[in-house]
Amino acid sequence: MNKHIRKVLFYLLIVLISSIVIIPMTYLVNISFSSQLEVNDFPKPLLPHLGHDIKVEWDEGHSWYVVSRKSFSGEYKELNYLSDFDRVETYFRTYLNVVRTSEQYEADFLVARETGVPVFVHYNKTIFINYTKFFSIFDGAGQALVNSITAALLTIVLSMSIGGCVGYALARTSIKGKNAIGLGVLIVRMFPAISIAVPMAVLLIRFGMYDSMLGLAVIYSIPNIGLTAWITKSIFLSVDKEYEEASLVFGATKAQTFRKITLPLVFPAFAASSMFAFITAWNDTAISLLLTNENQTLALLLYKNMGGSASLHYATSGAIMLIIPALIFTFLTKDYINRMWG
Amino acid sequence: MAYLKLENLTKIFGKNGLAVDNFNLEIEKEEFVCFLGPSGCGKSTTLRMIAGLESVTSGEILLDGVSIIKDEPKDRHISMIFQSYAVWPHMSVYENVAYALRLRKMSKAEIDATVKEAASITQITEYLNRYPNKLSGGQRQRVAVARAIAIKPKLFLMDEPLSNLDAKLRVAMRTDLKRIHQDLHTTSIFVTHDQSEALSLADRIVVMNKGVIEQVGTPNEIYHDSETMFVAKFIGSPPSNFFKVLVSKSDNNVTVKHPAFAYIVKGPIADTLSKKYLNKEVILSVRPENFVVDPNGIIEVKCLIVEPQGSHLVINVNIGNEEAKVVTNILDIKTKDTIKLNFNQNIAFFDAETEHRIR
Repeated sequence: MNKHIRKVLFYLLIVLISSIVIIPMTYLVNISFSSQLEVNDFPKPLLPHLGHDIKVEWDEGHSWYVVSRKSFSGEYKELNYLSDFDRVETYFRTYLNVVRTSEQYEADFLVARETGVPVFVHYNKTIFINYTKFFSIFDGAGQALVNSITAALLTIVLSMSIGGCVGYALARTSIKGKNAIGLGVLIVRMFPAISIAVPMAVLLIRFGMYDSMLGLAVIYSIPNIGLTAWITKSIFLSVDKEYEEASLVFGATKAQTFRKITLPLVFPAFAASSMFAFITAWNDTAISLLLTNENQTLALLLYKNMGGSASLHYATSGAIMLIIPALIFTFLTKDYINRMWG
Repeated sequence: MAYLKLENLTKIFGKNGLAVDNFNLEIEKEEFVCFLGPSGCGKSTTLRMIAGLESVTSGEILLDGVSIIKDEPKDRHISMIFQSYAVWPHMSVYENVAYALRLRKMSKAEIDATVKEAASITQITEYLNRYPNKLSGGQRQRVAVARAIAIKPKLFLMDEPLSNLDAKLRVAMRTDLKRIHQDLHTTSIFVTHDQSEALSLADRIVVMNKGVIEQVGTPNEIYHDSETMFVAKFIGSPPSNFFKVLVSKSDNNVTVKHPAFAYIVKGPIADTLSKKYLNKEVILSVRPENFVVDPNGIIEVKCLIVEPQGSHLVINVNIGNEEAKVVTNILDIKTKDTIKLNFNQNIAFFDAETEHRIR
């Protein structure tokens, strides 16, 4: 009995935790696919609508078309009164995310006018229009995406190469003060980056790396070098020297041994720590706010523009675009992380 | 001519000093040799020098008449089993066995046949597609053996291969290794600190201590005819008992005297003792089973602790002020019984200073 209650409570907790993540995510995804008219709809459908059910009536008195849209509750609500098909095209494109030519609308609408009976049509949305518009509406969004990727890759390269060497040294050599070095790199990680950002900005200006992705990557790498060093140290310790020796005895050269034995065995550690490096660089806004000027990253651009409510659906599609690479990267590395700590 | 010849092999580690000192050994083809000694005696270092994993400070290693000292490990055509098995975890069992064969640029069909043959010898055929983390310690050990025999090496080196297995498996694996050696006749060197492994596996045992060979001999020679006190102490479970005795002579009888007993020495050894060691102290070594429980015995002792072992008893007694262990197959002796002991002919004498055997 007790066991059942505990089981139920456990599953409730799981549902609660997942809904904390899932509800905002569905909300976000929904908005990113919404047209401007739908942005403020509440409640949101579970899955975003891919089209609109439209009713067109001909109002002889005003000599215009009455355009209504089927709402969430199933009723048709009047949207607009239109007579000019170019304006119809603009209206549908801007407010409903439906992209068709004015001639196509004309063909549909004329039926209502000629028969005098309301015409019901279903128009599919151009699904990714918000995403493409995101780049045209926000100045430099494309460049920001490129910047984000550059900064993340540079961070990975820097923290992997330096941190990996430190990790190897900590694991395999007997240098003096090894433990102090190990602790030192960890203490570096302890500092909130924002608290050292001002001196960092000064230093970067001196070195001519202010407002550059390399400069950002250097700052992002600082905490990650320590993390990488510790993660790789643990794996270099766990890779028994005998694995390499066996390879040498069984006919491999040192280079072959490194490539076929050592590298595959330590790769999970590098994949796992590269994920941390990637996420640090990709998700940061605070440091890039201080250390860049014109070359902003995607996260920073979104941070700056999220507030403008008129463009919420564009900003959310930007946000989704920010999430997707992080998700992809995490899924690519998850097997290795599992192998490391699973 | 010897198949493997080690001449004055010496290894000095930077600061830690001498690991192997003037090691000389000749191993015949198809022989199974064990290096036996306590940890740190240089046995593994010697093995690793043969494998090429450790550089040689001085000396010479001749395999089949050719010096291999300058060869890379890969060119020596030697295979090795490691203490940790060193079965690569990121490769399937099949890939593990095939690794060395691929490096030797064998054809696919040849590799497949060789892997399967090695797998059937070591009974791992059903695990070929599994990964090592899905295997037990014993199965991993078999993979390591399969990998080692697949390349048909000139020399088969084993560095404490059984020490990570549990006791039961260790004995079973030991038998398997011996069977594989009898089938394949590969010249083998086996390093261990476990005397029972060495005694049961080896054609010849090399007992090492502090980088020096103490004795080379068959298991029987090592056990019954120990050359030094170290060997007598190291081999045998329980080990040999030692008594400091004084050699004296009266009425043509050579007697060794101990505070607790006096024993009349017979045979050729009596002459040696009376010639060289008269009125000197020597060490008498008595293996636990060289005591004879005898109503007419010369030593009367009280049984302090009796440890039944099934087929025999181990009795702890005090002889003089020294503890001694007696093995007997008279099974009805109990704690606090008083028994009389005598020695049989297999006792040995050692020089008190050099600790070498007096013959």
